[in-house]
Amino acid sequence: MTKDERPVIRGLATGVAGLDKILGGGLPEYSFNLVAGGPGSGKTTLAHQIVFANATPAKPALYFTVLGEPTLKMLRYQRQFSFFDTKVAGAAVKFINLTEEVSAGDLTKVLEKIVEEVERTKPGIVVVDSFRTIVSKLNGSENTSLFGLDRFIQRLALHLTSWEVTSFLLGEYSEEEQRNPVFTVADGVFWLSQATDRNSVVRKIQIVKVRGRAPMPGLHTFRITNDGVEIFPRIPEQTNTRVSQKRNRQSTGIPGLDEMTRGGVVSGDAVMLTGPAGSGKSTVATQFMVAGLKAGEAGVIAVFEEYPEDYLARAEARDADIGRMIRSGKLELIYLRPLDLSVDEALHEILKAVNRVKAKRVVIDSLSGFEVALAPTFREDFRESLYRLVGTLTATGVTVFMTAEVVEGFSDVRFTAERVSFITDELIIQRYIEMAGELQRVMAVIKMRGSDHSHELRTYEITPKGVTVGPALTRYDGIMTGVPSLRLNAAPGQRTDIVKAKPSVRPAKPAAAKRRK
Amino acid sequence: MATAQVTARELAKRLVDRETSTGASKTTRASAAALAGEGLYRALSRWIGSDGCHALFTRARAQEQPANRALESLQLSPRHDPYITGVEESIEEYGNDATADALESMIVGMIELLGRLIGVDMATSLIERSLSEFAQDNSGSEKRRAKA
Repeated sequence: MTKDERPVIRGLATGVAGLDKILGGGLPEYSFNLVAGGPGSGKTTLAHQIVFANATPAKPALYFTVLGEPTLKMLRYQRQFSFFDTKVAGAAVKFINLTEEVSAGDLTKVLEKIVEEVERTKPGIVVVDSFRTIVSKLNGSENTSLFGLDRFIQRLALHLTSWEVTSFLLGEYSEEEQRNPVFTVADGVFWLSQATDRNSVVRKIQIVKVRGRAPMPGLHTFRITNDGVEIFPRIPEQTNTRVSQKRNRQSTGIPGLDEMTRGGVVSGDAVMLTGPAGSGKSTVATQFMVAGLKAGEAGVIAVFEEYPEDYLARAEARDADIGRMIRSGKLELIYLRPLDLSVDEALHEILKAVNRVKAKRVVIDSLSGFEVALAPTFREDFRESLYRLVGTLTATGVTVFMTAEVVEGFSDVRFTAERVSFITDELIIQRYIEMAGELQRVMAVIKMRGSDHSHELRTYEITPKGVTVGPALTRYDGIMTGVPSLRLNAAPGQRTDIVKAKPSVRPAKPAAAKRRK
Repeated sequence: MATAQVTARELAKRLVDRETSTGASKTTRASAAALAGEGLYRALSRWIGSDGCHALFTRARAQEQPANRALESLQLSPRHDPYITGVEESIEEYGNDATADALESMIVGMIELLGRLIGVDMATSLIERSLSEFAQDNSGSEKRRAKA
């Protein structure tokens, strides 16, 4: 036999955002699945969402409820979700209460009732909520020991599969109970959990197994909103491939900075701008975005430190066009500040926005705010998570411009507070220096992978119209110490072209210099 | 009510009328209303459980009783057949019309309560579908009528 006659296992679209992806391509049709997790972990919502995405009058869904959450209350709460379509519920979803059969304490009767309803309805999907209640109610009863739980589960699984039903058993299981026969028989095991860390709660899902598929490993965060469960896959597909593109230059919108970068930042690069508070990082980031918009490149700004309205008001004060850009759909401003955020969720939101507006530029303002917005559990591996986020975003071809706040003393030079400069292709720093008793701002391009760039330290000013870069401080030494001194061989006349903005620069005392000599 | 613009009273009336039209000529309005309530309880119990259904009927009876004294003679017995008992006694004490009105009010109250809990459209759809399936499975009121 030369022809490949393996049966094709079709993937059922679950209707749950992100779930098909972590399952390795949808749910195997006619599989027998266990959805396990503690109370409130989202099992019932997940099951309803799958049911409503797949039930049709021709292939309806059967939803068996047992003791535990009363059906009436379940319906009352579940119908708050946007996916709960009353028309579908009326025509294609049938809720059946098994309380009486379970109360009788006879597994045979429970099985018979399920089989009877399946044969009568010929459903495409069957849910038993909660299967754990059936088992705990029957445990220890004479009938259970005679019939055997293993055998019951096997017969149920076989029966449902032979009727070409994709089924879900929901149950409150703990991780120690994985030796339970239901875990062995199940084709798929979805584990839902809620991790509490300090004051934040993070929901996670793990696909423990899916027969016939290669699920995405690891714990994936998810959120339950009015639209139901939304899963944020841990390893986005995009990390494996990268959009190939020409390394064009993109203007930063600041002529002086474009000079320093030899024509602008490189498209598709991850650029980081670091500096202390008030150094103008957000201003530069906004100018970078506006320059792109004016060149016809759509963009996304993710803000973490201030409300979008405030951010927009400040940005519009400098450039009135920015609000118009948002209204025209060229720019999307997204606000991510829930304090229980996961990096994967942030990435997901940014990617969605990138795809919506077909962005070429993304601004993340700032990494410091982003780190604070994360649930504590994700702050521990912030560097690794950021590495994935940046890698995934740049793989799509967008240029990512990030800002990061550094806390520095005048003699302490650090390129980034988060020690994440290694993930960037281009690094620009801003800092304060003291000249003649006044604070001055300087910036420098530290690195540009695969590209030449200026090595100058240049002063800059923040004006009502944005950042303006001044000339290089070529006549000064010790700028990075924060307290520069004029070179001894600098001609007196050269002083004024050094710092035009602040002409009162005090040169080093000639007498002291002589003494040192 | 929402989907078919059917109110709880119209739906209840439809249930009672169905029992009246399919019954024998001797069927009184009160016994038809009792059969309608009985059928509603049996059918809905399959969806929301007998305890859930009984809880709704109990609340509806308590709500309607001040205005319908005939409900005092009626008993609701979950997981028993029949579910509604004391109809004859009520007819004897309050008359056929008062008993029929009381039972119909209780059914209306129950449907309204279900509508408030899960939404009017969902409640209507659930009741209509339940009754239709229940009728198909058990030859509907015929068996119950024979028992009654």
